[in-house]
Amino acid sequence: MTVDLTAAEGVHPRRTLAAADEATTVHPPRPGRRRRRTVAVISALVLVATCVLMVAPFLWAAFSSVKPTDVAFSNPPVFRFGPTFQPYVDLWQTTNFYLYLANTVIVAVISTVVALAVGLPCAYALSRYAGPASLILLVLALIFRALPRFAVVLPMYEISKSIGIYDTRVALAAALIAINQPFTIWLLRNFFTEIPRELDEAAMVDGCTRFGVLRRIMIPLMGPGILTAGIFIFLFAFQEYLTAAVLTDINAKTVPVFIATQIGQNLPLLQQASAATVLLTLPVVGIAFIAQKYLVAGLASGAVKG
Amino acid sequence: MRRREFWVLVTPSVIVMFGFMLVPLYRTVRWSFQKVEYGAPGTSVGLSNYSGALTDPRLGRAVLFTLLLTLVVTAFCLVFGYILASLVNQLGRMRPVVLGLVLIPYVLPHVVGAVAFSWLFDTNFGGIVNFVVNGVTGGMLGEPLWFTSVWPNRLMIAANAVWFMLPFAMLMILAGLQGVSTETLEAAEIDGASPLQRHLHVIIPSIRGVLGFVLLIFTMDVLRIFDSLIALSPQAVSLGNESLMLYIYNVAFREGAVNLGLGSAISVLTILLILVLLYPSIRTLVREAKAA
Repeated sequence: MTVDLTAAEGVHPRRTLAAADEATTVHPPRPGRRRRRTVAVISALVLVATCVLMVAPFLWAAFSSVKPTDVAFSNPPVFRFGPTFQPYVDLWQTTNFYLYLANTVIVAVISTVVALAVGLPCAYALSRYAGPASLILLVLALIFRALPRFAVVLPMYEISKSIGIYDTRVALAAALIAINQPFTIWLLRNFFTEIPRELDEAAMVDGCTRFGVLRRIMIPLMGPGILTAGIFIFLFAFQEYLTAAVLTDINAKTVPVFIATQIGQNLPLLQQASAATVLLTLPVVGIAFIAQKYLVAGLASGAVKG
Repeated sequence: MRRREFWVLVTPSVIVMFGFMLVPLYRTVRWSFQKVEYGAPGTSVGLSNYSGALTDPRLGRAVLFTLLLTLVVTAFCLVFGYILASLVNQLGRMRPVVLGLVLIPYVLPHVVGAVAFSWLFDTNFGGIVNFVVNGVTGGMLGEPLWFTSVWPNRLMIAANAVWFMLPFAMLMILAGLQGVSTETLEAAEIDGASPLQRHLHVIIPSIRGVLGFVLLIFTMDVLRIFDSLIALSPQAVSLGNESLMLYIYNVAFREGAVNLGLGSAISVLTILLILVLLYPSIRTLVREAKAA
């Protein structure tokens, strides 16, 4: 059974139905054909409706961010207006949005690079060493991945204050590296396991050291796996609200924290928050489309979720 | 691999993971037996934080609310995620487009997604949901108080959780569907199994493992739900719509940290619950390691 592709595109599901009816009047259909057609149309409609609902909050935020302020929040909603980009201008000129955006990106990049540098050798060792230490580390990593955040983040808040790194990018990046490390080594280890051990042995027979094998053979082979892990760690760091809300105040604040603090504010600020949401979402939508292959591969490997 | 090589390779990661996590974790466990505030040494109070936690009616409400949410969201996402995955699995060239759109709620920061989601319902922000539903049904919905009335607020929270978690369920199940043997499916079709029978007796039994995994992740994730409530339920405390994690945040951080000990005790209890939930996975891991 195939789904009707023209209907799935969401162009004219109704026309498809009408066309189906027309077809049936000309050629009397084989039994079951009309039912199959109905099933295809219904499944296409379900898919289209799901896609619309999935992007609806974002579309509405984007829509509200370009309305003139006097009608932006009118109820019932206004659909005809002269678009304006004033909220975007105000967002850049009157708030520290650029600082928060820089914080978010820098913290995410640092934590991705360090997490990979630290996690890669560990994941490789876990995939090749069969001793009990390997099993214990894997089980502990599984437990650490599932810990409730507050059990580690609240003490981190106190420790960061007492050693004077509270509200810095370093503190936030360090916390995120540690929190995402269990996930990192699990995901990378699953990718390493798929590379046959014979390859290591052959290279070592040819005179490579263990570290040479990792650097010269494994890391080049792991390209897509490393990319997948990097994308996920970057996303998790970029998404993090709870840790950032507790460990930052003014200087190291990230965009998700900024947007969350704007909720109870007055209307122009709220409209700026919707502009911030759009600016944050657009690159993420880009990631969802461009990196889709890697995201799906990472999810399929079964190690995902922090 | 030799033992020495193993330890050289894993040491940096072990230091980062356990150094940065075990020290804080130890402090949480110690706090849970103390009356304590940030920056000051605490005084030991024995088990009174635990007895306080177990007799606090506000915590009881938070636990009930979280369990109800977990049950509803997990059940809905498993069933609907399966249906969606089956539909997407039959798609051809539209597949990347559908997957890309469905991935958006998954990659967006949850708190930002929840803020945008709350604007759909907020009558101060146009109230598009009320507008559309009333337009279609002729005013059947009326004007529910999405943010200040218990059940409408719960409905909105559950809808939001489904919105950002459904993509994960769908993608996991979709990955599972790739592994279903086509020979078995064809055999079932030749033997005259209807599409429904093929789903119930062939496909679902062969992706049982994936479904179990999704169930486990969902249970743990919804139990830890926090970010989205910040945006969706500003009056969670008075409505009784506090989740377990929001309760810890409120008593141990936001409300002047007066009950840091109590919050820590609840964290410890949550960890114990998570250990119980993880036990089957750990047992499988150990068994696989022994077999290898």
